[in-house]
Amino acid sequence: MILGIDAGGTNYDAVAFEDGSVVSAAKRSADTDDGFETLLAEVVEKVDGSGNAEVDRVVVSTTRVLNSAVQNRLPDCTNVVVPGVGLSPELAYSGDENLVADGCVDHRGRVTEPLEIDGEPSHGVVAVTAKFSTRNPSLETEASESLDAPTVALGHESGGALGFPSRAETTVANAKSKPVFESFESSLHDALDETGIDAPVYYLKGDAAMLSRESARTTPAHTLRSGPASSSLGLVALTERYAETPSLTNAVCVDIGGTTTDVTLVKDGFPALVDEVEAGCISTFYDGVVAVNTTAGGDTRLDEDGLTGVRDGPAVAFGGPSPTPTDALHVLGAVSEGDATAAREALSALGDPEQVAEEVVEGFVSAIAESVRSLEGHEDVPGTVVVGGALADALASRLADRLDCISDVIVPQNAAVCGAVGCAVASVSVRTHVHVDTARGEMTVASAGPEKVEEVETGVEYEEDEARELVARETAEATRRAGGDATLDEIEITAFRSFNVVEDGRVVGQITDATARAEPGRRKR
Amino acid sequence: MTLALVYHDDYLLHENTPTHPERRERLTYTMDQLREEGVLDHTDVELVEPEAVTEDEILRVHTPDYVGRLKKMSEEGGGALTVDTHVSEHTWDSARLAAGGVTDAVDRVLKGDNQTSFVMSRPGGHHAFADHAHGFCFTNNTAVALKHAQEVYDLDRILLWDWDAHHFDGTQSVFYDDPSVLTMSTHQTGRTLFPGTGYTDEVGEDEGEGYNVNVPLLPKTGDEGYERVVDEVFEPIARQYDPDLLFVEAGQDNHFTDPITDLGVTAQGYASLMNSAVETAEDVCDGRVVASLAGGYGVEGGLPYTNLAVIASLARLDTSNVREPATYEPPADGPTVDGAVSKVKEKLGDYWEL
Ligand SMILES: [Zn+2]
Repeated sequence: MILGIDAGGTNYDAVAFEDGSVVSAAKRSADTDDGFETLLAEVVEKVDGSGNAEVDRVVVSTTRVLNSAVQNRLPDCTNVVVPGVGLSPELAYSGDENLVADGCVDHRGRVTEPLEIDGEPSHGVVAVTAKFSTRNPSLETEASESLDAPTVALGHESGGALGFPSRAETTVANAKSKPVFESFESSLHDALDETGIDAPVYYLKGDAAMLSRESARTTPAHTLRSGPASSSLGLVALTERYAETPSLTNAVCVDIGGTTTDVTLVKDGFPALVDEVEAGCISTFYDGVVAVNTTAGGDTRLDEDGLTGVRDGPAVAFGGPSPTPTDALHVLGAVSEGDATAAREALSALGDPEQVAEEVVEGFVSAIAESVRSLEGHEDVPGTVVVGGALADALASRLADRLDCISDVIVPQNAAVCGAVGCAVASVSVRTHVHVDTARGEMTVASAGPEKVEEVETGVEYEEDEARELVARETAEATRRAGGDATLDEIEITAFRSFNVVEDGRVVGQITDATARAEPGRRKR
Repeated sequence: MTLALVYHDDYLLHENTPTHPERRERLTYTMDQLREEGVLDHTDVELVEPEAVTEDEILRVHTPDYVGRLKKMSEEGGGALTVDTHVSEHTWDSARLAAGGVTDAVDRVLKGDNQTSFVMSRPGGHHAFADHAHGFCFTNNTAVALKHAQEVYDLDRILLWDWDAHHFDGTQSVFYDDPSVLTMSTHQTGRTLFPGTGYTDEVGEDEGEGYNVNVPLLPKTGDEGYERVVDEVFEPIARQYDPDLLFVEAGQDNHFTDPITDLGVTAQGYASLMNSAVETAEDVCDGRVVASLAGGYGVEGGLPYTNLAVIASLARLDTSNVREPATYEPPADGPTVDGAVSKVKEKLGDYWEL
């Protein structure tokens, strides 16, 4: 059994998932202190009444880092760069403070000048990025040991691609995200311990694949689009399982939450992706799902002018302080759960309740429709819309009426917990950069998380198929380190080149440089 | 965008022999350096994938007989033009793609899409004559591109400065009688280096007399020497000639780590050479500069830094931190260029005010 947990800003949702089906589901307000514990206890209890169901893994999506980023609540960061020789270090200045250290790694991964840091970081959150650190991480490691800051992120752990300025930027994003992610992470793990769930924990990345707990702690900026990724992935899975659509290839997905609404795009059965996700003051070189976020949700406070964009708490129908779109839907008889009388009373304060309710719902639906239309810049908008979230049933057909481009509207069973389902169906994916230099006798395998640096036999010249097999094997191993499983056939080598190293007219070795990816979950679709 | 950087992965296909100095990693190490520096993602740099030129475009420069021979050798899977210039199955296509890269780079600048362009290609071309070739070259890529430019655009004068360590014997011969392309070469003197030509008295012929400038330099000539040649020969001639386009055949084999030449230029020296070229072009031809990689065989300690230096200069980026790592011992001061400069003044004084 897999536990999927979608920790949004308003609600925490959880599902127990087995053999492609939702076995139990639960929802808790994120406002309460014991949110996780009661949620976990409830979802496990519901499975078979014993609370002892065997959990194979726990997969989590969280909007915590994103929310802190857009609200400018991330801590300041000192960006230590080791630019060596080349273009101006200023190209890599992405910290609130930037410290340039001496030291140089060359394109072969040789340390050609020693590390020397002049000055002390003024912030407790520190990012360290050296040029060519993915070919040799030693200067970054040395710097992090000598700095002794409470929070440190390292460039070579942020990703394996070449590109010093963008790696520095991503490393700063990871450093700034670490404290908030760690606090979220530790409260979740305390709750798991309390509930007696002892299973590996994964986090959903913005590209809709999952990452081991360890890698997520190293690169928490990966979670920036975790929320929309989970709902998109979940709505596809639910549609295929429950809505008599065995294979959903292209669709628009709408997840109506309490505070915000996410619109995503599904292409060829998987969420469509963009590169270089950014939010607030942080930028990364990570992929993320195409997502449009509207600050309008079921709990958005209403005033005389309609939607305010702010959430005070739940709807009045659920004991909240101010009228919301959920209350308006009560007045129109579109939802049943909750206190309809209280909802009507709250709307009366703003005018004729029926009229106010119509206007509010109209405004809410228009705002979502506007988000869907804004996808047009990305791709042709498909004619199918799948709607999730607590208000999906109440709003789906109104939304379809609003959009000429939509011919088909689906609200699958369990749509209210689609994000948690998305987590439960996710799988590990890994991208590696493998660099083998048999003249130096060294191989580096960089992906997310600590880099593998290993000695190889010097002077060896591989045939191309041998070298490709080595790359595939290393990528399969990196996938296992990330908590996944991929056979050699499931590994795709996306770039490959190999050439001799010649010194004094003699071939002394060979350099193989390749990028590869394992996307086992995606391949099955 | 300021700079068009023309590159194709197929430039890695052609190989002479496994240990030949003109090898694919001349480009791979540089491309790694450029990727890691973020040059390819920079807002002032546009990466352009070139297309090969047609055989007809090659025939603007080369004889049908030579083209036929080269093509056949490549089709048959190999052969050799000379003892060190080897043809492989990829050579004909690679040469057409290299000439195509230079042609695209010229088009980019003359159409106004980019202010400057740089071609990161191989094999090179400046030792290719109309009817034969040697010195690791097969087709004269620059000549093919400039003949194309003259046919397509309204150009009166092109200034071609070839700063490769070797004399540009092929290019000189193509434009020797043509005043519409002023050809200038700075190189290590033919007394000590292949191809053994390139003396100051080779000044052009017929209509082209006075429009070929050779500046042979002593071994070990370094940054300062080159700087003086720029000030006393290149710049005055550029201003007087007043070209519509400046073309730089950027050979990186003047670098002090180069294994087959004996000069002493550093990466900073290269940055300042290209900065001078760009500044002069700004004064005389609205900043239109096209540059193309020629030689350069210091694959690890030279090319990544010299290429970065000239590319950054062309993109108008800060080059002050572009240098070799400290593991390379810097060159000693070079010899004076007094002799070379006064020889040029003597031989070309009738044509230019120097
Ligand atoms: Zn040369």
